[in-house]
Amino acid sequence: MTHSELELQVDAYLDGELAAQDARELEAHLKECRDCSHLRDSRLALGTAIRAEVPAFRAPDELRNRVRTALKSSAQVPTSGRPMPRGWLPLALAASLTLVAFGTWQLASARSAGAALGEQVLASHVRSLMPGHLTDVVSSDQHTVKPWFNGKLDFSPPVYDFAGKGYPLIGGRLDYIGDRPVAALVYGRRQHFINVFLWPVSRGSAGRPDATTRQGYHLLHWSTPEFAYWVASDLGLAELDEFARMLRDS
Amino acid sequence: MKPRDLGRFEAIVLPHLDAAYTLARYLTRHEHDAQDVVQDAYLRALKYFDGFRGAEATDGRAWLLTIVRNTAFSWRRRYRQEANAAEFDEQLHSQSVEDVHPDTTLSDASARESLHQAIDRLPAEFREVIVLRELQGLSYKEIGEVTGVPVGTVMSRLSRARSRLQRALVTDQEGR
Repeated sequence: MTHSELELQVDAYLDGELAAQDARELEAHLKECRDCSHLRDSRLALGTAIRAEVPAFRAPDELRNRVRTALKSSAQVPTSGRPMPRGWLPLALAASLTLVAFGTWQLASARSAGAALGEQVLASHVRSLMPGHLTDVVSSDQHTVKPWFNGKLDFSPPVYDFAGKGYPLIGGRLDYIGDRPVAALVYGRRQHFINVFLWPVSRGSAGRPDATTRQGYHLLHWSTPEFAYWVASDLGLAELDEFARMLRDS
Repeated sequence: MKPRDLGRFEAIVLPHLDAAYTLARYLTRHEHDAQDVVQDAYLRALKYFDGFRGAEATDGRAWLLTIVRNTAFSWRRRYRQEANAAEFDEQLHSQSVEDVHPDTTLSDASARESLHQAIDRLPAEFREVIVLRELQGLSYKEIGEVTGVPVGTVMSRLSRARSRLQRALVTDQEGR
């Protein structure tokens, strides 16, 4: 091996990018070769000096505001896309009105952690009702939906179909709530959709569901020892309770 | 953009503003240019976001930094010539690695400026790998994605960039 090849190896070794076998061979070499162990030491010193002396910058507030403003105004430009299917129009309209109303309400609301999560759940539910957003995988078969999440999440969500009881499984979707990717399962009840959001919790409790109503949508929240559950729908509270009971008893 | 995509964008891409600014700052070597580049890059990112398939915030970093880097380069071509920028002079700093001793006192108060200057003097393709690796901790694979070169090239650029920094430091300190 030439000197410059060895140099690459030493750098890759210190960066943790050398394969285990190569790393072992290099370690043996470092014990014997004074030049290479010198190089290693000076590289370590250089790395330490860079981290200590050369700053990673924090974006100035001015830039932060500029980016947010630019995003906001460019996001308002309507994207020229496919025409909306007719049946979706009232639903989408209602959903966008809800978003506006939700925005106003959001300003006034108290921001406890639970309330903040509820906000996110409601926003995700409303977004999911917009055309083309309800499901990433469409299937009424729980054995199709569950494996679909493999490799997309760091947990495997329990998936059940309640078609026999009038709540058919429609599909699943990835969503993002509380700073983490979560599983969203979609169920139907007549013309209504139910979103079930779930993600693992480290210390769950087996409490009764909390119910809240926001902007005409009902939110139910509870935990099992393993998962946090949020259910959102415009379905009547009585039926949503029935659905939640089936989910909890599964 | 649809509200749901905007929400995803805010969760996946927006958290990397500091990283984007740091890279732009070192590539442009100018505070205000860096701000313009980052703003421009975010608008481009928003435009291309449809094609991005990552689901987590960590996925967005290399993707965004790629856009920042390309924006910085095309921006520089458009607005600024590097004619007056003092690039690192290979002839002047051609000391070999064997001359570098580990007991060189890098913690010297003078080191801060000279190390920073040495990074600024590196050619852009060396400067970017140093920033991505040392300041932002990207893997070789991610650096390859951002800079558009194979991992082997990342390895050799990083190694050569470090050797240059060490030589520059030694030269600098001996010159005092």
